[in-house]
Amino acid sequence: MTRRRGGPPGGSALADELARLRRAQARTRSGARAAATAPGDAPPAIGRDGTPEEAIARWFATRGWAPFPFQQEVWAAYARGESGLVHAATGTGKTYAAWIGPLLEWMAAHPDGARRRRRRTDAAPLRVLWITPLRALAADTAEALRAPVAALGLPWTVETRTGDTPASLRQRQRARLPTALVTTPESLSLLLSHRDAARRFDDLACVVVDEWHELMASKRGVQVELCLARLRRLRPGLRTWGLSATLGNLDEALATLQGFDAGGAPRPGHLVRGLVSKALGVDALIPETIERFPWAGHLNTRMLPAVVAAIEEGRTSLVFTNTRSQCELWFRALLDARPDWAGVLALHHGSLDPRARDAVEEGLRRGTLRCVVCTSSLDLGVDFTPVDRVLQVGSPKGVARLVQRAGRSGHQPGAASRVTCVPTHALELVEVAAARDALAAGAIEARPPVERPLDLLAQHAVTLALGGGVTRDVLAAEARATRAFRDLTDAELDWVLDFVVRGGPALHAYPEYRRVTDTDGVLTVSDRMVALRHRLSIGTIMGDTALTVRYLSGGRLGTVEEGFIARLRPGDRFIFAGTPLEFVRVRDLTAWVRRAPGPSGAVPRWQGARMPLSTELSAALRARLEQARQGRFDGPEMEAVRPVLALQAARSRIPAPDELLVERVATREGHHLFVFPFEGRLVHEGLAALLAYRLGQHAPLTFTFACNDYGLELLSPGRAPLEEALAAGLLSPRHLLHDILASLNAAELARRQFREVARVAGLVFQGLPGRERSLKQVQASAELIYDVLTRYDPENLLLRQARREVLERQLEQARLGRTLERLERGRVTIVDLDRPSPLGFPILVDRTREQVSSEKLADRVRRMTVALEREEAR
Amino acid sequence: MTGDGGAPRIELAGARVRLLPERALLLEAHATLLVADVHLGKAATLRHHGVPIPGGGTADDLRRLDIALARTGARRLVVLGDLFHARVGRDALRTRDALAAWRAAHPGLHVTLVRGNHDRASGDPPASLGVEVVDAPLALAPFLLAHHPAPVPGGYVLAGHLHPVARLAGPARQRLRLPCFHLGRDVGVLPAFGGLTGGAVVRPAPGERIFVVADGEVLPVHAPAPNLPGRRG
Repeated sequence: MTRRRGGPPGGSALADELARLRRAQARTRSGARAAATAPGDAPPAIGRDGTPEEAIARWFATRGWAPFPFQQEVWAAYARGESGLVHAATGTGKTYAAWIGPLLEWMAAHPDGARRRRRRTDAAPLRVLWITPLRALAADTAEALRAPVAALGLPWTVETRTGDTPASLRQRQRARLPTALVTTPESLSLLLSHRDAARRFDDLACVVVDEWHELMASKRGVQVELCLARLRRLRPGLRTWGLSATLGNLDEALATLQGFDAGGAPRPGHLVRGLVSKALGVDALIPETIERFPWAGHLNTRMLPAVVAAIEEGRTSLVFTNTRSQCELWFRALLDARPDWAGVLALHHGSLDPRARDAVEEGLRRGTLRCVVCTSSLDLGVDFTPVDRVLQVGSPKGVARLVQRAGRSGHQPGAASRVTCVPTHALELVEVAAARDALAAGAIEARPPVERPLDLLAQHAVTLALGGGVTRDVLAAEARATRAFRDLTDAELDWVLDFVVRGGPALHAYPEYRRVTDTDGVLTVSDRMVALRHRLSIGTIMGDTALTVRYLSGGRLGTVEEGFIARLRPGDRFIFAGTPLEFVRVRDLTAWVRRAPGPSGAVPRWQGARMPLSTELSAALRARLEQARQGRFDGPEMEAVRPVLALQAARSRIPAPDELLVERVATREGHHLFVFPFEGRLVHEGLAALLAYRLGQHAPLTFTFACNDYGLELLSPGRAPLEEALAAGLLSPRHLLHDILASLNAAELARRQFREVARVAGLVFQGLPGRERSLKQVQASAELIYDVLTRYDPENLLLRQARREVLERQLEQARLGRTLERLERGRVTIVDLDRPSPLGFPILVDRTREQVSSEKLADRVRRMTVALEREEAR
Repeated sequence: MTGDGGAPRIELAGARVRLLPERALLLEAHATLLVADVHLGKAATLRHHGVPIPGGGTADDLRRLDIALARTGARRLVVLGDLFHARVGRDALRTRDALAAWRAAHPGLHVTLVRGNHDRASGDPPASLGVEVVDAPLALAPFLLAHHPAPVPGGYVLAGHLHPVARLAGPARQRLRLPCFHLGRDVGVLPAFGGLTGGAVVRPAPGERIFVVADGEVLPVHAPAPNLPGRRG
């Protein structure tokens, strides 16, 4: 193989380069896999002759590649003691950009260090922490890191430590950590909770945060920020490097990762641009007859024949879906359509048992699978080189996401990467066209970091109290060194400390409360149960109460949410992990099942937040609709959807940019108001609660509401006083904050958000199988605790945080205010219809509904009946 | 539902009973008030284990009990199990003091506890409270009082344990979830009395009656007619 330089990237040369790199990496990985099974036995393939740089160059050469300039840039910066962030497309050598620097440095410091190590404990102590968002990625990453270590014969150990790590290895790691540890944010927190945490990081030189774009916009990202602040205090010269996909706010991503120094100045960091894939084709499978294609619903499989044909075109396909239910559904549908694909068709999502997921990933690597139906669980991580076809079922929702998913396919030399969208209803065709526009305009989304989550600071304070103790000054200094808490006030800090020590002001009178002990200003934890509970809850930032699904005969299938299982009766059928199952019983947080004959049954729903259309994609969508309003239909998707939009224009109208369309329809269900601001689901949710609240001030009314990315629907048994309310300022930005807070409570949005806050702050936690007997009496639902706090401790900062989180993140308050200003300036067009329009229909059939009522509860009950079981499913 | 103050009188197993919005049931012939699943000291138990939840619930629960006793003039109180949540909660100082004060204010009231699963774990209430403790079933004809809602030959069982909650559906896709009385053919289940208790959704069989507790009123709700057209599956 000829050696070529990796840059400057561009056009098909880049695609060639990437393809070559990927093939080489795949080989490296399989070599490393073999090496990992027999550590230290094989002689080093390269050896340590010459300078460290020469040794590394030789190792690169054996792979058939030369270092990319951006990789060398990172190595040089690392050698100068600098930190930074590398952004590049998936599978373009980011891993070695970050990994080689520490190796070079160590080799330079240990010129005779090539001696063979005999035992694990002979290896160099912990030098590199590698943080990865998904524990499923840890093993692959460790293998990639081991490759040069093994080839150069370095006395380094590379190990993983995640929730999946066996107890025996954990035990050995308790005694001595490996030279490089690949771990998750949660497992890093757990490490910091050990009493002897400080001395375990004595030789730590570098922390690499992989897939930082995935972590930074979540509370897990804040957890990483706090852990980094602690590690920097323990090791002042520590270097931190982030690896990220391309984002709209890279500077912010870098600043968030690096934090602030003791004087409050931003710590400097290097932003390194790696190889950015440019050529990306987006196309769609077009329904043959749009007239009979559904207007709504994401769970239909109408396009199945076209999808089967597309899979047949490729060697190995990935079919991305937006939800786990959709994933299960498409897997079954494909298997029904092609029973001969049994064994080469697989599914992959986050609720499946890790062993099943590993087997699928291994099959992808080896190229033994024809197609994998998956969710975002395969968005990240190393490539699966054999994959040559990527399909996206349903709306792509965001440009960055589409790029990420398209990048999962291994490239044929010279070919652009390509993703094929599969619409599940007509309007998704417009979204595909809009996604292509946004991509062409380079409108990659930004991911905003989380601000001041006090629940997480409380959790972290307990972690540090466990990990050898912490004082107020240290906690304050570390917290304020993070971007998330840079503006933490003394009052907030003291509230958090008081909360973990005494349970907060409302608990001062209750001596039986105990969690963290304050001895002369040093916070520690002495109670064994408190420690156990805390360690169990560290890992539960994400996710709801999950039950393990298990065969009576023993095998584990994965997890489903308690809410789904609660609706099943023994004997009921459901489909999970692609398998028809019969529900037997629940015991010890486990749903016991047996295999059911015949493929019928419900597919579980997971509560996972529904992803809103990104701002960038919303804007592109509005532009496409405006073109359609003016009669322009460019491209195959718009051409295909034209009859539907024409019907919208004929039956109602396509609103102009300065026009707010309100459609009013009466059906047997009640009176519907459809409002179309096109501002995205989150804003619509806030707006719907607000409009329902304001309309309810004119007369006692109960509304249920639903939203999608285009608009919202308010449904009431009686006709809503729309004209009257508009005249009285229904869309006015005045008293906005007051009315939003009132509607937020009315719609129970804050109560819902409190579930996450309560879990992170340690107010509720889910037990573990086999453990819950001792813990059962300490369980109370977050909803109950919310009610108790609202009643007896209304000033509780966690309640305020839940409200703030809804306001800032869910309702995007500022955007809601701007939306109202825009709407108030524009004109409102009210159209009375005798049946729903194509735009309104998708919202009408949405089953997820919130309520806002200004009626007396008893008056509502008088019109109600006991819900049928099927109606309970929401 | 006028004149009964939101607490309807109904016939049950041939006897007159009254359903109270305080989440209690009155046996009129016996002048006896029934409550189930009080779970006193639950907040204290949570605090003891490091869950920072404020108090005030016990006082509220006892106040609600006073309202029900005053409204009905009951001479006897029977607790259908789970008076205390756990031993640590039972022994928490504030719970004990509050309960002692409440008992002192009701010297003439005959109080009986029918043991439930939590009572076995937390132990009997202290003797100073003057609570008679019995195993199920306790017979007050035509009723058999118990904690577990299992049918027993020879009487209509009134019990607790399940913390029943009804899910309601209304016009325009409205939904509500409210604590309820679930009265079946052989067994009737009371809502949990304690304020800090969760609930389990009931699925009434044909012929069973559901009364929900809503805003200080007890209201009957009906099961929908079967196979109503137009319901989505």
